[in-house]
Amino acid sequence: MYNIIADEKDKGGMRVITLDKKDLIEAMTEFKSQGYYLSSITGVDMKDHLEVIYHLHNFDKNEYLGVKVLTYDSKVPSLVGLWKAADWDEREQYDLMGIIFEGHENLRRILLPDEWVGHPLRKDYDLKKVQYVSMDSEGNEHVSFDEREGW
Amino acid sequence: MKTGDLGVKTTTLEKALEWGRSNSLWPLTMGLACCAIEMMATQAADLDISRFGSEIFRNSPRQSDLMIVAGTTTKRMAPRVRRIYEEMPYPKYVIAMGVCVIQGGPYVDGYSVVLGVDKVIPVDVYVPGCPPSPQALTYGIITLQKKIRGETDR
Repeated sequence: MYNIIADEKDKGGMRVITLDKKDLIEAMTEFKSQGYYLSSITGVDMKDHLEVIYHLHNFDKNEYLGVKVLTYDSKVPSLVGLWKAADWDEREQYDLMGIIFEGHENLRRILLPDEWVGHPLRKDYDLKKVQYVSMDSEGNEHVSFDEREGW
Repeated sequence: MKTGDLGVKTTTLEKALEWGRSNSLWPLTMGLACCAIEMMATQAADLDISRFGSEIFRNSPRQSDLMIVAGTTTKRMAPRVRRIYEEMPYPKYVIAMGVCVIQGGPYVDGYSVVLGVDKVIPVDVYVPGCPPSPQALTYGIITLQKKIRGETDR
């Protein structure tokens, strides 16, 4: 049995529950059996910890449900085993927020080139260190801090 | 261009070529973001740029001679824009449409946007706006036609 830490309603009337991350898979399995589908995965950087917010949608009841998970070591269990839709959403969160989804088999960058340094939506990402992307004739992308080696 | 008494017009070959090129600009569909919607409106029936010889948007760079870069050019897209530009046959022209393409626009402090597509490819005409209205783009095309015919200083 999973333990709900907080249960609240947001401004739009959507129910948002907060879970411990070890209960996540168990709770999500139950929500899936109730007819919820994964709509989106969002990440928030709260400086001392990261939050991962899952939006679930029930087509039968036309009801949304938000599930919030806090993580202090930027690791969260992956939901690819439950919903295939979680695959690219989790890759996006890994790419931009640096959240590591444990159990994801193909956790690569999805939007930025593979060689990119850092995760740009983190609060501690340094925007002054500009990175430049170039492409060789084979189609492989290279990232450099040197302005002359890319755009 | 001179008009003689015999009803014969004489001109130089360059003038004739420039006249022909400027009135048959075939644009390439280089819609990268939201400006592409305005570019489509420019091409569609209401503000038809076929009136100025830009017949129809080509999907192949080999069939076109005008690249309208419409929309935010990200760092990852820039090498692709460069490659497509190199695939176009000479003579080729570029219109930079929208502030994102001109200098970064609202993404000027971002991490992923090229601050000006003129760092990647040479640009002939800049059309500012966010997005520019179809009338502004039509004006940009007319300005480019004047530039090809040598009627402007720049």
